[in-house]
Amino acid sequence: MKLTSRRKIALASSVMISAFAMTATFQSSSKAADCGTWGIAMHAWNGYTASAQVVTEVAKAQGCTINQSTLTEGGTTYDAMEAGTTDVIIEDWGGGRWQKWTDRGAVVLVGANGNVGKIGMFVAPWMVKKYPGITNSKNLNKYASLFKTADSGGKGAWFEGPPGYTTIGEKMIKANKLKFKAIATGSEAALISTITKAEKNKKPALIYWWEPSTLFVKVPGLDKARVNFPKNDWSDAAKASGLTDYPATPLEKLATKKLMDSGSVFAKIVKNFKWTNADQNAVAADIEGGMTPEKAAQKWIKAHPAQVKAWLA
Amino acid sequence: MYRKLLERKGYFFLGFIALWYALSKIFFDKATWELGIADNTSFTNVVGDAAGAISGNRTHSPFFVYFFNPIRLFINGFVDIIRNLIATPSNGHAAPTIGWLGVIAILAFITLATSRIRMAILVITFLLGCGALGMWADTMDTLAMTLAAVLLSLAIGIPCGIWAGLSDRVLKLFTPILDLAQILPTMVYLAPLALFFMIGEASATIATMIYSVPISIRITSHAIRSLNFSPVEASISMGATKKQTLSKVQLPMAKQMIVLGVNQTVMAALSFVVIAALIAAPGLGKPVISALTIQNTGRGFVAGLAVVLVAIMLDRATSAAAMKQKAFIPPTESEKRRKRLNVSIAGAVALGATIASHFVTALGNFPDNFDIATPISNATNSFVNFLVNDVSFLTVGFKDIISIRVLNPIEDMLARAPWFMTLTMFVIAALVLAGKRIAFLTFVLLSAIAATGLWFDAMITLTQTIVATLLTMIVGVALGIWVGRSKRADSLLRPFLDAGQTMPAFVYLVPILGLFGPTRFTAIATGIVYSIPVVVKIVGEGIRSVPESMIEAATAAGSNVRQIITKVQLPASKRALMLAANQGMIFVLAVIVIGGFVGSGGLGYIVIMGSSKPELQGKGLVAGFVILLLGVAIDRVAQAASRRA
Amino acid sequence: MSADSPMIQVKNLWKVFGSNPDKVIGTELASLTRSELRAKTGNTVAVRDVSFDVAPGEVFVVMGLSGSGKSTLVRCMTRLIEPTAGELIFSGEDILKVDGNRLRELRRTKFSMVFQHFGLLPHRKVIDNIAYPLEINGVGKAERHKRAQEVIELVGLNGYSEAYPEQLSGGMQQRVGLARALAADPEIMFLDEPFSALDPLIRRDMQSEVIRLHHELGKTMVFITHDLQEAAKVGDRIAIMRDGALIQVGTPAELVANPKDEYVANFVRDIAKSHVLTLRYIARPLRSDESAATVELDADLIIREALPTVLEAHRPIHVVSGGSSIGVVSAEDVLALIASVN
Repeated sequence: MKLTSRRKIALASSVMISAFAMTATFQSSSKAADCGTWGIAMHAWNGYTASAQVVTEVAKAQGCTINQSTLTEGGTTYDAMEAGTTDVIIEDWGGGRWQKWTDRGAVVLVGANGNVGKIGMFVAPWMVKKYPGITNSKNLNKYASLFKTADSGGKGAWFEGPPGYTTIGEKMIKANKLKFKAIATGSEAALISTITKAEKNKKPALIYWWEPSTLFVKVPGLDKARVNFPKNDWSDAAKASGLTDYPATPLEKLATKKLMDSGSVFAKIVKNFKWTNADQNAVAADIEGGMTPEKAAQKWIKAHPAQVKAWLA
Repeated sequence: MYRKLLERKGYFFLGFIALWYALSKIFFDKATWELGIADNTSFTNVVGDAAGAISGNRTHSPFFVYFFNPIRLFINGFVDIIRNLIATPSNGHAAPTIGWLGVIAILAFITLATSRIRMAILVITFLLGCGALGMWADTMDTLAMTLAAVLLSLAIGIPCGIWAGLSDRVLKLFTPILDLAQILPTMVYLAPLALFFMIGEASATIATMIYSVPISIRITSHAIRSLNFSPVEASISMGATKKQTLSKVQLPMAKQMIVLGVNQTVMAALSFVVIAALIAAPGLGKPVISALTIQNTGRGFVAGLAVVLVAIMLDRATSAAAMKQKAFIPPTESEKRRKRLNVSIAGAVALGATIASHFVTALGNFPDNFDIATPISNATNSFVNFLVNDVSFLTVGFKDIISIRVLNPIEDMLARAPWFMTLTMFVIAALVLAGKRIAFLTFVLLSAIAATGLWFDAMITLTQTIVATLLTMIVGVALGIWVGRSKRADSLLRPFLDAGQTMPAFVYLVPILGLFGPTRFTAIATGIVYSIPVVVKIVGEGIRSVPESMIEAATAAGSNVRQIITKVQLPASKRALMLAANQGMIFVLAVIVIGGFVGSGGLGYIVIMGSSKPELQGKGLVAGFVILLLGVAIDRVAQAASRRA
Repeated sequence: MSADSPMIQVKNLWKVFGSNPDKVIGTELASLTRSELRAKTGNTVAVRDVSFDVAPGEVFVVMGLSGSGKSTLVRCMTRLIEPTAGELIFSGEDILKVDGNRLRELRRTKFSMVFQHFGLLPHRKVIDNIAYPLEINGVGKAERHKRAQEVIELVGLNGYSEAYPEQLSGGMQQRVGLARALAADPEIMFLDEPFSALDPLIRRDMQSEVIRLHHELGKTMVFITHDLQEAAKVGDRIAIMRDGALIQVGTPAELVANPKDEYVANFVRDIAKSHVLTLRYIARPLRSDESAATVELDADLIIREALPTVLEAHRPIHVVSGGSSIGVVSAEDVLALIASVN
């Protein structure tokens, strides 16, 4: 019994040792490409996936090895960049929340990626016709009782964005004196499920959403269902502190200093990458339609050779 | 006499709760300490600043330079060696050092050498299955992370377990720590760990170890302690030194159970590696979580399926290795010779396959030309759509009833009443249920929660935990009785219970979300699904262990089935019921945090938010700490109450 | 057997369980009964002021009911349980004073022990179980297997050396236990209820086996049992324990003939007196209306063994000790004794 187990171990270890030996012998034979191995953070929303995947595919074609790591947006990802776990955020909505990290130096702001984000509150599209004026924030209180649920404590349910996303719902409710209660939905999935179900069953719903997004294709009429709030009054300091609506946000790229200083072609791609909301929506729609992100990205790359070439210049 | 007293206690409690309810109505929404989602308290600000200072110091503080950073770099390096070997292409090579064929061959060979050929075939099939699901790379990452965490866990757990097995003092020292690690909801320590070991493989590995090392220690020490004492005493009586007795008697005899402990450690590590995707652990957790956040149930299900395949594979393979030596009698000479031959041939084949997989890229990267993932994913999505669109009117009705009739009243009592009133009521309840000591502990823990400023959110989470536990117990006890009384029920339900325990909670979060929408009830339902297996298992075990003679006596006395259940089996397994309630509550609390992803609000939501929004980092950390306080309070009260019962 | 140089001397041995046991011994607390003491201090007296000698080559039986402290006593004698107070002299050396190394050396070479539940190592073959005490003492493999083989033959385990304990019956397992205890050729064997876990028939065989081994090897034995029949069968002397204290020490015949108190009397009542008493205990003066037979019997002959001669004689027979008659026994005397068994 002892003998066999020893043999087993001997055999198993000889397999292992030869495996290691092969690693050692043949690693040197395959020359590493100049671009190197880099990481890109993957965030939850489809639009982000589209941008990140296109960047990944372009870099791979240049001989880069790109590791995608799924990360919660914001602080978690900045920390991951500081730790060297990942190198690039291709679309950040944070409007300066990275300040502490960029101050420390390991993370640098690369610049705008061309997309412009506009967050807002949307009612289920069927309600627009049925309840005239509902998309004007002044009329919201009139319809508040429609939005009551078992969870909203007698007020209208105001479904907030996921925990990591920029939200000012509570401030908007206060500033606009609305009879609504901000409800923490937790994830994008929760919002999608809420709005699609409400639209299908003709039930009321008021959700947080944003452009650019393919949800506008999936839920027709959603673009017309945005509730219009009064613009923030920046002229008056007292009023500016009570935010009434989301501002339009140019979306930013961030990367590690290590990458940007490396001279790698990947750094060049990240620096130059720029496209429009329509570009992103095209790729995102393909992914949503069931194409793998890789194939969707390659399809767009093939269709836009000039643009890609400009990123590499 | 005693019965009368009990009945009176029951009346007392009814009156007590009625009074509580009435008071909460009178003082509704006063001094609730409700805090806006984005608001901080002075305490959370202090914690946030401290966290900021810690992360700012990572590069130069000696604590980091000489302690945390070396540990992080060591673990990162260790994980990377394993990942480069099987999971990720490195050094410009197009595929990992050992390609898919090599990995399958080596794992099959190891299984064959330690177990039976059937297990080896199962391993091959399941690994091919993961590949066919399009999850090969993620599966390998998960395996690599699990392997790294398990090796490190065992390197710590087995020696500590042996130590605790030999010394009562050490066991006494370890026990509270092990208990705490068991109550701690998994998501709670991700954020503080990330603060010290940063986001990445190291934090993920350490978090996994925090979860799996206690299991390894517990089982190893139990293995040593539960040994038949007589051979140990015999060895000492013959003048063996402690070392001799340990190496020649205790370890060989405990070996089998220690291997079983390895099995448990592997399973714990695997289940955690999936969750650790939240702090950038590579592997199958990634698709599961992104499926949750962007609602692609199908893709999440495919990844979850791969997790289950890996779980079954690892479970069967490691437990088969443990079971193989059930008796201490080894095989005969001819059996050994045959086995040796098989193993040698398999070894040669494995070696060949490994070498081939290194050089031939087709054998290195799993082929993606046959795709079963898309049909499975699409089928799942249409099934979920069916549920969401055509069944949810039923479920939403049910949800509303529970929310309005149960959830809201309890929330009114706990969260929407003045905080000091709730606190007082809890302390009185603990005094009656569990005695002075526990009442005092409850007072201290709840005061601490109040002091953090997150009282309101804590009460929201507690409400959900209580409601989820109540519902879990109703369903779990019923199923447990069924399982305990009928072998058929047991074998019918067991696969579901096992799968329920290995399936990461994220996977079923999305379909449940579809059924109930982003509400508190979705988190509750997730908690129920997650904790029912453990409750059913404990209750079933309790019912089964009621002595046959008691049931025979009751039957002989002319009891019917209902009487046997209510008058014999349930009272006799009271302890198991109490344990089930306690465990159920701890399990529920663990996923209520995850419920933050689907609208539970409360502490879980704050924890998740804290990891993204720098300005709320402190609040998130404090929320995690409050969950811990809640867990300890629940556990202590439940245990003391069950001791009294 | 020479009474002046005992193999082992136990002097005023105490074992008190619980915290702070020293406060009990030598104070008035020591005179309390077990239950009184437990109520008062929480301590339990397992062994109470026990003293006795064991002569070389003797089989000394400690007998008592469960809870009487006999197993604790035997463990105190090898310091598997550390005694609270007292002396334990083995060949002039106080074992309670030796350090760990010396104690291990004694255990390896001078003492050995046989356990109620055998204490065999389930993962080792019979031969490696038996060789275990030699192995821990650093004896080479070939040599210890040779010695183990000798002992295997001695205890009748031929052909089982390659078997594993779980493949053997209980009786055979305890033979392995005996063989292991003999392997290091110790001077004293401690047997802690060695046959209590066995079936009655096998138990009887094993008792005979111990008697045979004792005759062949002449080892000194301290034998723990709760079975008085067993005690009477194997023991040269028996010590009766109750609540931690020794009540009476003596040969089986002494105990049966002169029980010290009601407790011992109750104990020995079940013993067939004719099996343990010698003629000495029933010899009586010749009555005037009798005439003795011409045969004579030795006073130390067990009554049962004298039975055929006595019955055949039809007349009283003289019982002789040291050349002179100490009285006579008749068939009536013997039969009356047998009839009065209970």
